[in-house]
Amino acid sequence: MSAELDIPKEFAETIVDPKAYAEEDHLQEVFTKLRADNPLGIARAEGFNPFWAITKFDDIQHVEKNNELFHNGDLATTLTTIDADKAVREMMGGSPHLVRSLVQMDNPDHRNYRMLTQNWFMPQNIKKLEVRIREIARTFVDRMADYGNECDFARDVAFLYPLHVIMEILGVPESDEPRMLKLTQELFGAADPDLNRTGEVSENTEEGVGSVAETVAEFMEYFNAITEDRRANPTDDLSSAIANGTINDEPLDHFAAMSYYIIAATAGHDTTSATTSGGIWALCENQDQFAKLKADPGLIPGLTEESIRWVTPVKHFMRSATADTELRGRKISKGDWMMLCYSSGNRDEEKFENPFKFNVERMPNKHVAMGYGAHVCLGQHLARMEMNIFFEELFARLESIELAGVAKRMEANFVCGPKSVPVRFKMA
Amino acid sequence: MADAFKNWQCRTCGYIYNEADGDPMEGLAPGTRWADIPEDWECPLCGTPKSDFDMVEL
Repeated sequence: MSAELDIPKEFAETIVDPKAYAEEDHLQEVFTKLRADNPLGIARAEGFNPFWAITKFDDIQHVEKNNELFHNGDLATTLTTIDADKAVREMMGGSPHLVRSLVQMDNPDHRNYRMLTQNWFMPQNIKKLEVRIREIARTFVDRMADYGNECDFARDVAFLYPLHVIMEILGVPESDEPRMLKLTQELFGAADPDLNRTGEVSENTEEGVGSVAETVAEFMEYFNAITEDRRANPTDDLSSAIANGTINDEPLDHFAAMSYYIIAATAGHDTTSATTSGGIWALCENQDQFAKLKADPGLIPGLTEESIRWVTPVKHFMRSATADTELRGRKISKGDWMMLCYSSGNRDEEKFENPFKFNVERMPNKHVAMGYGAHVCLGQHLARMEMNIFFEELFARLESIELAGVAKRMEANFVCGPKSVPVRFKMA
Repeated sequence: MADAFKNWQCRTCGYIYNEADGDPMEGLAPGTRWADIPEDWECPLCGTPKSDFDMVEL
């Protein structure tokens, strides 16, 4: 990796810094400068192995689409310090991963494991859930109304609605939902002292890895019991599909099965929560867009799509090259580590007109927030359906909404969204 | 009488192209038949080639 291709040191430190994702404005300034001056440059941040920072939409899609040339699982799939990587490998017998879910897999495992639940997540199957999801959405809109005219939309509504949907899908009892939410926030908020297990800043250190590993172990213990139950009493739910799934006529590897539950039980709600609350936050700050939605509820799918682009709850994934190749005229060597900067791709001026404007009528709105290629988000149709239904139910009653305090994002460079969105509202 | 409109589904991500609705985001007007979409067209959600779509009954 030639030093002349380096991005400025300060930029490299920013794009790995969880706090930068909480504040966001400076991060977006950095990405804007990188897209203009060095869209595919080498980042050398303190404590990390060097990696390519991929900031352009087209380059992100190219890497995602060529999933044999750019692997997920050979190196850490998220930004990991040298120390944390060493700690994980010591703990996991040389593997750089604490879990082994679809996002850590490459073919043929990725294809085989994805096919286990692919049909379950297809639009024609999840459509069967529409009536039930609408009931759940109405419950949460009612709950919001019960707060009177003020609530924390993130904590009181958005965290809880997608959580309830996915836990019902997984067969987790409602009484265990607070535990599942806490474990998810410990995992994705590992760098945020408000959310992580220790209450201290400890991510990406040996201590931080130990803390995340404890969270993973607690998840696994919980889902082991679900697996045993579904093996004894299979139903047509998602947990049964995982518990009784076979690959090449063999039951799933236990660790991979537990990892499957973990990704469903975490990414299956946290990203949707973040997008829902981030969309409402954006509407509070863009009352012209709120007025358009009130006048024409047919724009709600546009609100959902723009909220996904706007929030981009998954901030990055890492890939590594399996062979020497070239991208944007630059030589990528076999083994190079690459950061797909989705937030940057979704503000790419070459793809989006006025990208820093929240626009529910944006068309086209092809973004990379759900990924692209073989690893595209498995739950994307469910996520869109959940958000469309919730916004339909909410906008049928919501007359006005504005911020009632300072909204805050979590400190996280991987999965990141609002942790608090205080709002004042009127509802019919 | 014209053939009934059909649905085509991406094998990778499940995106459904409905001929009756088209896909305005893709510049495909309602009523655009599958056969009239260029062969180099790709799934708008994941980039899977047109050849890896299946006709589905919904």
